[in-house]
Amino acid sequence: MAAIEVSALTKAYGEVLGIDSLSFTVEEGEVFGFLGPNGAGKTTAIRTLLGLLAPTSGSATVLGADVRDETALIEAKRRIGYLPADLSFDENATGERVLEYFASIRGDSRREELLEIFTPPLERRIREYSTGNAQMLGLVQAFMHDPDLVIMDEPTSGLDPLKQERFNEFVRAERERGTTIFFSSHVLSEVRRVCDRVAILREGELVALEDVETLLSRGGKSVRVQFGSPVDPEVFTLEGANDVRTLGSGLQFTYTGEYDALLSHLATYEVLDVEIGEPPLEDVFMHYYGDADGSAERGDADGSAERGDADGSAERGDADSSAGTRAAVETEAGDA
Amino acid sequence: MLEIARYQAERRLKGTLALAVGISALALMFIAFFPSFADVDMDAYVEAFPPAFQEAFGIDTIGTIEGFLAVELYQFVWLLLLGLYVAYLAAGSIAEDVERDRMDLVLSLPVSRARVVTETFAALVVPIVLLNLVVPVAVYAGVLAIGETVALADLVMVHLLSIPYLLACAAIGLLLSTLLVRADLARRLAIGLVFALFLVDSVSSSADYTWLAAVSPTAHYDPTAILVHGTYDFTGAAVLLLATLALVLASRVQFRRSDIGV
Repeated sequence: MAAIEVSALTKAYGEVLGIDSLSFTVEEGEVFGFLGPNGAGKTTAIRTLLGLLAPTSGSATVLGADVRDETALIEAKRRIGYLPADLSFDENATGERVLEYFASIRGDSRREELLEIFTPPLERRIREYSTGNAQMLGLVQAFMHDPDLVIMDEPTSGLDPLKQERFNEFVRAERERGTTIFFSSHVLSEVRRVCDRVAILREGELVALEDVETLLSRGGKSVRVQFGSPVDPEVFTLEGANDVRTLGSGLQFTYTGEYDALLSHLATYEVLDVEIGEPPLEDVFMHYYGDADGSAERGDADGSAERGDADGSAERGDADSSAGTRAAVETEAGDA
Repeated sequence: MLEIARYQAERRLKGTLALAVGISALALMFIAFFPSFADVDMDAYVEAFPPAFQEAFGIDTIGTIEGFLAVELYQFVWLLLLGLYVAYLAAGSIAEDVERDRMDLVLSLPVSRARVVTETFAALVVPIVLLNLVVPVAVYAGVLAIGETVALADLVMVHLLSIPYLLACAAIGLLLSTLLVRADLARRLAIGLVFALFLVDSVSSSADYTWLAAVSPTAHYDPTAILVHGTYDFTGAAVLLLATLALVLASRVQFRRSDIGV
C-alpha cells in the first residue's frame, strides 16, 4: 500500500485554483520532496492531504485513509506526524506543556530520544521562542509518537545551517527506520541531499516527478571548457547546450545532449581543459521552472523570462525538454 | 477523552480566578454601599428612571437587599456583563486558534472536528461554573457582614439558574466562532448580538412583542424574580439548555464542513 496516493486532486478557492489536478504516489519508506517556490500550491496540497481543506475534486489517501472520510483519517492520524509551514503554538504555554498536551492524545514513545537531537528550551514559554526553537519543538511533536508517515511543510525554515545538517542526518536515519517522509521545500540543495524522489510544483500543477538521479541527469551536465583562443559564446552553437556563458578564457554551459555530439563539436576547437560535472540543482530547477518567480530562487535573471515561456509550454513532456532548451539557446542568440 | 477541554480550561484558569476575585470585590463594594441607601428617598429614585428602565432592571424593588442585589449585581453584572463576557470568550475560541494557525496542529491529532468544538465548549463551562461557586460565597458573607439576610436557597438558585443562561450566551459566541475566520470580528459580533438580544427583551417586555422577547436568553433567566419573589423559572432554564445544545450542534456541523483557515 502506498503511503500517500493522490489522484487528480484539485482545490479551488472560488475562481482560483490552489492545486490543479495533482497526481502522484509516495511509496512506503520513501523520502519524497515536494518542490516549488512560495505560492506554487505546496501548502494547499499538504493541508488537503491532512483533511484541513476539502478537495474540490479528485481524491487522495494517506496510509490508506481517504482524506474525505474523517473517521478513517482520524485512525490514520495516529500514525502520521505533521509539521505545518506556519507553525504556531499557544504563546503562553511552555514547550513542555505543549508536548504533554499532544502526548496525552497521540502518545510520545520517542520524546526523550528526539529531545537529544532537537533541543528547544522546554521550560520556557513559547512566546520567548526563536523561530528555530519553535521549529525544533514542531519537529519533536511531529515525530514523538513514532509515526509511520511524517508530512512536513518547509521543515528547515528557521533552522540555522548546523541544525539543518542535523535535520538532514535525522531524516536519513528515519528512512533507515522505515519512516515515510513527505516534505515540501523551496530549497533545492536541501531536497537533493535527503530525498529519493522529487515532485516539482508550478502554479498548482505538477511539472515533474522524478527520482533525484533522473532529475539531475534531466537537468544535463555542467560543462566548463577552456579554449586555446577565446570563443564567442554566441557563435558556439551546439544543440543541447543551454545557458552558454563566458568563463575566463573559456565557456560554461549546461548540456543535455549526447556526449558524442559534444565531443565532436569541441574537437573543432583548440581545447585546453574540459570539466564535465553535475549541475547545481538550481539549474535543474530552472530547467523546469525558469520564469520570473523561479529566477528569484537563483537571483540571476539573464533571459529567464523567455526561457520560462519556452519551458512553460514544454512542461511535463520528456521529448519537449530538449525543445525547451533549444528555444532557450535560440532566444539567447536572438538577444545578441 | 477531554484532553482538549482540560488543556484549554487550564489555560483559562488564571483569568477566571482573577475575574472571580474582581467580581467578588465589586459585589462586596456594592453591598457595602447598601446601608447608606436607607437614607435615600427610594420612591423618588425609582421614579427618576424611565418605565422601560424600571422594567429592564427591575428597579422598583431596589429598596430591599434582595432587590438591591438583583438590580445592581445580578441584572447588570451577571446578566449583562457576564453574558457579554462569556459570548466574547467563546467567540474567540475556535476562530482565534484557526486565525493564529494553531488549529492545524490540533487537527493533525487523531481527534474529530466535532470533538474539538465540543471540548472547546466544555472548557468554557469551567469559568462559568467557577464564577458561580466563588461569587455567591462572597455575596452571602457580604450580606451577613452588613447585618442583612438573604434567603440562601434564592441565592443558590440565582447562581444555579444563571448557568444555563451563561451557557446559552457562550453557545452563541461558539457558533459565531465557527462561522467566522477572523476572531476579532466574531468577538465583536457576539457582543453586539447578545447585547441586541438583551435590548430586544428589555424593550419588548414593555410592549406587545413578548414573542420576540422569547428569542432572547435574558427572557429565560430573571434574577429579580428569583431573589425578590422566590420564583424559579425551570422551564426557562430548560429552554436555555436546549438552545445551548442546538447551538453547539450547529457549531459542530459548521466546523466540520468548513475549510480550516480559508
